[in-house]
Amino acid sequence: MPAKRNIRARKPAARKAPRPKLEEAAQWVGKPLPRKEEGRLVRGKGKFVDDYELPGMLHLWLVRSPYGHARVTHIDVSQAEAQPGVVCTLTGPEVAKLVRPFLEIGPEPGAKIVDYPMGVDKVRYQGEPVAAVVAETALAAADAAELVRVDYEPLPAVVDPEDALRDATLLHESAGTNVVWQGEFDYGDVDKAFQQAAHIVHIDRLHFHRFTSAPLEPNAVIAQWDPGEDFITFWCNNSFPAFAIQFLALALGIRIDQMRVQTYDIGGSFGIKITNYPYMALCALASRKAGGRPVKWIETRTDHMTASAHGNERVFRSTRVALDTSGRILAIESRHIDDCGAYPRYEPLGCIIWAQVLPGAYRFRNYRVRFTQVTTNKCPVGPNRGYSRMQHLWFLERVVDICAHALGIPADEMRRRNYIRADEFPYTTPNGCVYDSGDYARMLALAQERIGWDDWKEKQRRARAEGRLVGIGIGTTLDSGTNNFGQSRLLNPNAPFSGQSGVAIVKLGIDGNISVSLGSVPQGQGHETTSAQVVADVLNVTPELVSVRPGFDTERNAHTGHSGTYASQFAVTGLSAAHGAAQKLKAEMKRLAVFALNAKEDKLEFGMGAQGPEVRVRGSDKAIPYWGLANLVNVNNAVLPAKLQDVTLNCRYVYRPPFRLPDLKRKYGNLTLTYSAQLHIAVIEVDRDTYVPRILDYAVVDDCGRVVNPLIVEGQVHGATAHGIGAALLETCSYDENGNLRNATFSDYVPITSVNMPTLRTGHLESPSPFTFNGAKGMGEGGGAPLHAISAALQDALYAQGVIIDDSHNNASSLFHLLERTRAGRAAQIVRVESRAAAARR
Amino acid sequence: MYPRPFRYHRAASIREAVSLLAELGEEAKLLAGGQSLIPLMKLRLASPHHLVDLNFIPDLSYVRPEDGLLRFGALTRHAEVEASPAAQQIPILHDCAAGIADVQVRNRGTLGGSLAEADPSGDWAPVLLTLPTEVVCVGPEGERTLPLAEFFVDAYTTVLRPAELIREVVVRRPPPGSGGAYLAVKRSAPVYATATAAVQLMLADRETCSEAGIALGAVGLTPIKAAEAEAALRGQRLTPDTITRAAEAASAACDPQPDGRGSAAYKRALVGALVKRAIALAARRARGEQVEVSHIYA
Repeated sequence: MPAKRNIRARKPAARKAPRPKLEEAAQWVGKPLPRKEEGRLVRGKGKFVDDYELPGMLHLWLVRSPYGHARVTHIDVSQAEAQPGVVCTLTGPEVAKLVRPFLEIGPEPGAKIVDYPMGVDKVRYQGEPVAAVVAETALAAADAAELVRVDYEPLPAVVDPEDALRDATLLHESAGTNVVWQGEFDYGDVDKAFQQAAHIVHIDRLHFHRFTSAPLEPNAVIAQWDPGEDFITFWCNNSFPAFAIQFLALALGIRIDQMRVQTYDIGGSFGIKITNYPYMALCALASRKAGGRPVKWIETRTDHMTASAHGNERVFRSTRVALDTSGRILAIESRHIDDCGAYPRYEPLGCIIWAQVLPGAYRFRNYRVRFTQVTTNKCPVGPNRGYSRMQHLWFLERVVDICAHALGIPADEMRRRNYIRADEFPYTTPNGCVYDSGDYARMLALAQERIGWDDWKEKQRRARAEGRLVGIGIGTTLDSGTNNFGQSRLLNPNAPFSGQSGVAIVKLGIDGNISVSLGSVPQGQGHETTSAQVVADVLNVTPELVSVRPGFDTERNAHTGHSGTYASQFAVTGLSAAHGAAQKLKAEMKRLAVFALNAKEDKLEFGMGAQGPEVRVRGSDKAIPYWGLANLVNVNNAVLPAKLQDVTLNCRYVYRPPFRLPDLKRKYGNLTLTYSAQLHIAVIEVDRDTYVPRILDYAVVDDCGRVVNPLIVEGQVHGATAHGIGAALLETCSYDENGNLRNATFSDYVPITSVNMPTLRTGHLESPSPFTFNGAKGMGEGGGAPLHAISAALQDALYAQGVIIDDSHNNASSLFHLLERTRAGRAAQIVRVESRAAAARR
Repeated sequence: MYPRPFRYHRAASIREAVSLLAELGEEAKLLAGGQSLIPLMKLRLASPHHLVDLNFIPDLSYVRPEDGLLRFGALTRHAEVEASPAAQQIPILHDCAAGIADVQVRNRGTLGGSLAEADPSGDWAPVLLTLPTEVVCVGPEGERTLPLAEFFVDAYTTVLRPAELIREVVVRRPPPGSGGAYLAVKRSAPVYATATAAVQLMLADRETCSEAGIALGAVGLTPIKAAEAEAALRGQRLTPDTITRAAEAASAACDPQPDGRGSAAYKRALVGALVKRAIALAARRARGEQVEVSHIYA
């Protein structure tokens, strides 16, 4: 500590260059700063769970069910336990004695489901763990796991959600039904709208397929259950640890403060690592049984594909759409069946989360849906990027697109007629959500300009004259961010969740360095960079001077029960918290500087001086560096007057969005704070000979309000687009009728690679959110726009052939069969149009 | 990677490799590029007790032009073939080498390993079946040379005897006026093809096909030599009609299985489309045109 320096009023140093003007420091928010994280990640110095080697660490290997549905009649671990290096084992029946079943979020019948971290007397999906072997090395554990003898009595499996509704095969006898949750959503006056409709379009069945995120890093946990302290430490990659600890504490029968959860670098989650907490429980139990030695479990790729989490599959049945003479949608009525796989876990939240975007980008006011969620003998689902809204938005985009084709209205014109107008924001949806800002028609115009719409229309005309199958499709989508957990009450009035929050701690350390602790769990979204930008702007320093702690750690106390990374919200909850904490810190620094410099508060300036950041008195040479302020509080506090004794320079701020509880009777209320939008246009040709769908051109326009870091936004846009294109054309979790996953390896699942990616023509619009401190909106999930745009483009390419695109996944083989069926006159009659001249006149 | 335990043996010569195989018996597997074997061991779908590593045997990796022949050492990597000027003179070889999986696989995977593995989706087999190709094998009883056309027995099964391995692959260089092309439809670079077609033609007067080799991959238990499709071209002018007839004959010759890559009916249709295209490309090359050929990635 530089004790001899006069820190109260520094004499001006001899200056050669003019000092930078204070309070005019660069505005870092909005700059395309390269990510702070990159330094370690690009050099291979990132720290992932598997990089941790702890003294005495053991390794856990799981024995998993080869069956989709079976009774477990007997487990014998004696041979495995006798192997060299094996320390202990766990079995389902043993685990059931050690833990309570996980909490079910929903009400009955779903609440009657009994969910343990291992299958106990039954297995309900292929890959469900039935036993674990803990050994000195992973290899020894894997070898011994092959010697665990499990006797199964295979049961018939149910893999189709509509079959599951019939309850002929029951997954959970305790629930007595496969239905997890069902509810009616009814807004406006649907019946009246249908009476007044000029056209009614009937769509028999649409299907949104099951796919996953395939993050580069699979699930991973190290747990150490310290027997002396009765305290569990987790090193993991769970992406919503605040949720996980609430589940784990109840299941393990401990208090939340008997657990420490840490993450560091995470190789992607996309939401699906939210539900890896059963594995955290198993590692904790294994550690306790092994006498408190740390236990590591690293999921293999095949196990990840089979048994981690997939996205929700959904069937849309008996849809009716009422339209007026000009193609404006008046009402939609439908029945939706969501498939959550074998256990609900984070579900049935998906049964309500779609309602954040109930009308999509459209103005219709009348909507009725009966929503049912069922269990099937497939991998449990997790909140996969675009969670629940993507499925619904794909449905709406298919509806809009099919109606446009059926009524002969061009796809862009159909959308312009139906979009919510720019002058209607903030726009209250039929179910009470408030869309903060946007201009969908302008996004469409911008995307059309980027892709060269008229040019492509002309090229398409010429290609069609040559018999080629070229289609142009529009996908409009919303990325609703910062969710109100009050929506869980719409599913379960007794759910003790509501609102949302973000936490940050900004600290001026003993040596005057600025550090930030966040409550988020970054997995590539650049939280270290963007929060440094925000804090740098408040404290008038450069972002390099702001060190943001990587990862998440409950011991930083920078979290609430909402903390995690999900629901496209960091730009709002995380950055608002960082901003609030930085402002708190700045206020304390001002109070100290008033004292230290003996100046009036309104004369103080913050900024970079010749020797680093300082607070100065405007128009004078009096200044105190930040480290001087820190010194006063931390190591020199005898000089402080009583009125400054409350100053800590360690400022925690909790940001709470202004949410209220929704009206449960009407299922009405604001479910999300911000609405980013994306508009994609895809041009696709289906090859007449090979049936391979080839993307000829692709435009993406995004609007996430004020852009905090254009580089990061661009990266998220590219990632979300790749994810969606992969899902639309390559990736599908394909099960046979016995519940066997057919494509559990990358070579069969085929995650998207660069050869599959078109060059993106990107465009941006900035509609600042009126509801956030800097106009930014959360983004990153992307709303599944490529699924919508590609389905629409394929529809456009094949409509004249009599093909209706009724599935979100299409590939060369499925397109071949769609075209073959229409050629043979065997096309399914999916769509029917009923036009009523009399009604049109009314 | 967590394979079952195995013992690793490093062979210093072909002779030593053969004698190790003879000594260790069926529980031993050869390790060449490892691009099929290692993933199978990782998944514990293959669990050899012994691995005999060929990678340290000198002089097993080369592309050697010689009297109208091209000799490939069994351990020649796909990437070496891709980069070899001698191999580039036979465009179908370059199409094949440059299009195998991704760069990591091409850097490790070997030509001999690919043929010996006899994966129904392997790339080299259909390509080399369109050229006069021989396989030089070494076993306990010495060396023998086999035409590649007699090499494949079934999926993952060849005529190689126990303790026998491939030493060299010998391709006869096609005469002037020849051209070939190899096309695959793949969902992405590293995954197996949905279907592949290899076509090698010789044109008598730039129009009439005097010789034709057509082979199909990934659409049967073994690579399929489409003799009727070849016959449909041989001695014929290359008109849309004859090309269509050859493509239809190729579709009829294949025997695809339905899987995640596509239904049997789709693959049959795809084979026809690929053969049609490959004939057109091969003909252009036979006429001396420089044509870049790339697989089709869905």
